[in-house]
Amino acid sequence: MNTGSRKNKLTPYLWLLPSILLIAVFVVFPIAIVFRLSFSEISKSGVPGGFNGIRNYVDAVNLPAFRTVMINTFWWVVSVVGLSTLFGIIIALVLNQEFFGRKAARSILIFPWATSLVIQASVWNYIIKYEYGSLNNVLLNLGIIKEAMNWRSSYQVEFVWECAVGIFVTVPFVAFCVLSGLQSIDKSLYESAIVDGAGFWDKLFRITLPLVKPALSVSTVLNIIYVFNSFPIIYTMTKGAPANKTDTMITYLYMLSFYDRKKGPAIALSVIGFVILCICAGIYMTVVMRKEEEQ
Amino acid sequence: MKADPAKNNRLSLIWFLPGLLLALILMSLPLYHFTANVYTKKSANTFVGDDTYKEVRAEVDAAAEEFRAQGMDVNVEEAVTTRTNSKGEETSLVAFSITQTVSKNLWSFLFAGLPSSPVLWIMTACMVLSLFCAACVTAGGRSVSHPRRENRKTDPAGTASSGKADRKSRLLLDVSCWLLLAGIILTPVFLLMNNYLFWRKIRLYNEELVTEGRDALFSKMDAFLFHGDMGEGIGQALGNLSVSHSPAVWLLMLCFLLLAVAAVRLRFGNVKKPVLRVLLYAFVIAVCAVTLYPYYVMFITAFRSNAETLDMYFLHLLPTKWIWSNLSDIIHRGVPGFLLNSLMIAGGATALAMLCGIPAAYAMARMNFKGKKAFLGFVIMSQMFSPVVLLIGISQLMNTLHMSDSIPGLIFINAAFNQAFAIWLLRGTFIAISPEMEQAARIDGCSTTGSLVRVLLPMAAPGIVTTLIFVFINAWNEYTISTVLISTAAKRPITVGITQFSSFNMIEWQYLFAASLLATVPVVILFMAIEKHLTSGLTSGGVKG
Repeated sequence: MNTGSRKNKLTPYLWLLPSILLIAVFVVFPIAIVFRLSFSEISKSGVPGGFNGIRNYVDAVNLPAFRTVMINTFWWVVSVVGLSTLFGIIIALVLNQEFFGRKAARSILIFPWATSLVIQASVWNYIIKYEYGSLNNVLLNLGIIKEAMNWRSSYQVEFVWECAVGIFVTVPFVAFCVLSGLQSIDKSLYESAIVDGAGFWDKLFRITLPLVKPALSVSTVLNIIYVFNSFPIIYTMTKGAPANKTDTMITYLYMLSFYDRKKGPAIALSVIGFVILCICAGIYMTVVMRKEEEQ
Repeated sequence: MKADPAKNNRLSLIWFLPGLLLALILMSLPLYHFTANVYTKKSANTFVGDDTYKEVRAEVDAAAEEFRAQGMDVNVEEAVTTRTNSKGEETSLVAFSITQTVSKNLWSFLFAGLPSSPVLWIMTACMVLSLFCAACVTAGGRSVSHPRRENRKTDPAGTASSGKADRKSRLLLDVSCWLLLAGIILTPVFLLMNNYLFWRKIRLYNEELVTEGRDALFSKMDAFLFHGDMGEGIGQALGNLSVSHSPAVWLLMLCFLLLAVAAVRLRFGNVKKPVLRVLLYAFVIAVCAVTLYPYYVMFITAFRSNAETLDMYFLHLLPTKWIWSNLSDIIHRGVPGFLLNSLMIAGGATALAMLCGIPAAYAMARMNFKGKKAFLGFVIMSQMFSPVVLLIGISQLMNTLHMSDSIPGLIFINAAFNQAFAIWLLRGTFIAISPEMEQAARIDGCSTTGSLVRVLLPMAAPGIVTTLIFVFINAWNEYTISTVLISTAAKRPITVGITQFSSFNMIEWQYLFAASLLATVPVVILFMAIEKHLTSGLTSGGVKG
């Protein structure tokens, strides 16, 4: 084959072209727009004006709810990612055992992953209603509680519920990532460990966890990004009420730009969020690339 | 443990028989105490110690004597409520009540005809049969060698050496153990059913919040607790019914636990393994139950009437009447249109993502060129940015392209944001297939495109289908961008469309969930189909909805 010709050198790029175009127009371009807008004056209807310096950023940081929202975002990401990773590992370890009905259990566990977040959030919203919610009904019927409980008595409790729903929908992702890591572990390692007299905890900490670490780190970094970006749960369950006390950054910037008509600070927040994501993405890239090289 | 299996078994049996007998005896102790209100007398404007008080008190005491004469165990109680009225005078109300305490043992539940009675029948039958079987084994004086599993290992020739009688007694032992375990497992069911009846159902019946089947249950309770003496007054008697357990219940539980251990030892020869197994199943069942719970709620609510969805006193597992018209109602409220929009958006986005992604993945898998790594980085980076952070940028872009409020716009966005995953997973699939077949095809005169379409794609079909379905599901479930970009109601996808059933002051749960059900079922089934292929591709790339 004549690999030296100019045409052949260009061929790979032609194959990549549609994909590059698609990403460039619909991903890269909006990024550019957001960056440009964040430094310009924006009218209430969203029409960009002249250069405005860092005015939008100053406005964003000075918003009354800025601090609460940042703290919420931190807790949201840490609790959802942390706990869903913990539960995910436990569930993956269990699902990795041989038992009757394992296939059915796996199929059931995948449900939350396959369901739209709006729908999940709506269902949980119904479940924890005080007056007629299903949770109160079931617990009362089983005689576990004697009086209906108010499951959303304050915004703190509601935020905890939102985190719980976040964990609920995230666990399958982690579990299945870890499970695929577990299934690639060579069984003979355990056999020789048993010969050496290793106990359950030894096997867990010396063999299992180190070997699923690559799978786990990829899933954790991805999770941080997805959870940070998660919008429907909080938007459906509380809409950030009362007074942005349960908002995270993403829902807050949505509210700012599409309800409160404060496009300027909203865009500045977008950029701040974008930068945070970039840092996470950088970590992710290093992890994935290193893994690529190992293979 | 290995020393003498027969001796070990005999030891277990010694535990087992008296344990069972003890359990049966404990069941005849009074375990449930019911305190019911049989007589109430309220006296207004009465202060403790004054004349009216003494008068009423004497009347109540007389009534109590009458009850005692009938052989009932009654107590007189009084409650004083003092209040300051609008004129500033202090008033006092004394309420006398005569309460009767009835104690019941578990046997009496058998014939009470309560909802939990059949469960108790099964439990008792299991235990008695188990006792019988175990007694047969010991009475036969046969030495029971170690259970089957252990036997198979040590004695590969089967049970040739052990005689027919031995096999029979082993079978008896097996039956005995399983029956006992079944009986014990039913205990919480029985307790929960009683809880449900005494704490919830009777209360709701009495407050007339639920009425269906009330009279039948009340007459049964009357017969059970008061030998039918209450008649008309049964409603009042059950009004403040309180139930308590005697400490013997805990003894019974302990007894059951020991029995369970003995049964497990007899059947399996060792306790740790089966217990771990049971814990494993318990965990899996608990996790599955929690996972399925919201889906169960969604399913039953979708077929309940509006009144039932808002009913805190709902006592049934399933809707009392299946309202299929919920489905036809949502059809008239635009849901088929939303589903069609979703189908168009998800289908279009999938097609576009695959059309752009397959060539790119092919180039990444089969060709060498400068900037390959940079492109890979570019692709992975693009995966990081969920469209939400870029919402404002995207809506601006869509305005410029005149694609806001249009389905094609959503198709492009969804395709672009799923591009990374599509390329990543396809590339992995292509790399796993050896390039030899394509080379052979090319020698036969096939072009690169030809070899891709005719040779590689059919071989990579499973991976392609997985990618396809995954992109489809992601686009189908997408919500945020659609809310922002689509303003015309008729162009909404289903995820946005369902929100029309929930406004701030009124949520039509039954419609919301009926539509959600229609939106969820197809994608869950699709997802289950690709689950196996997906897991293997997971950690090599990044995937999540």
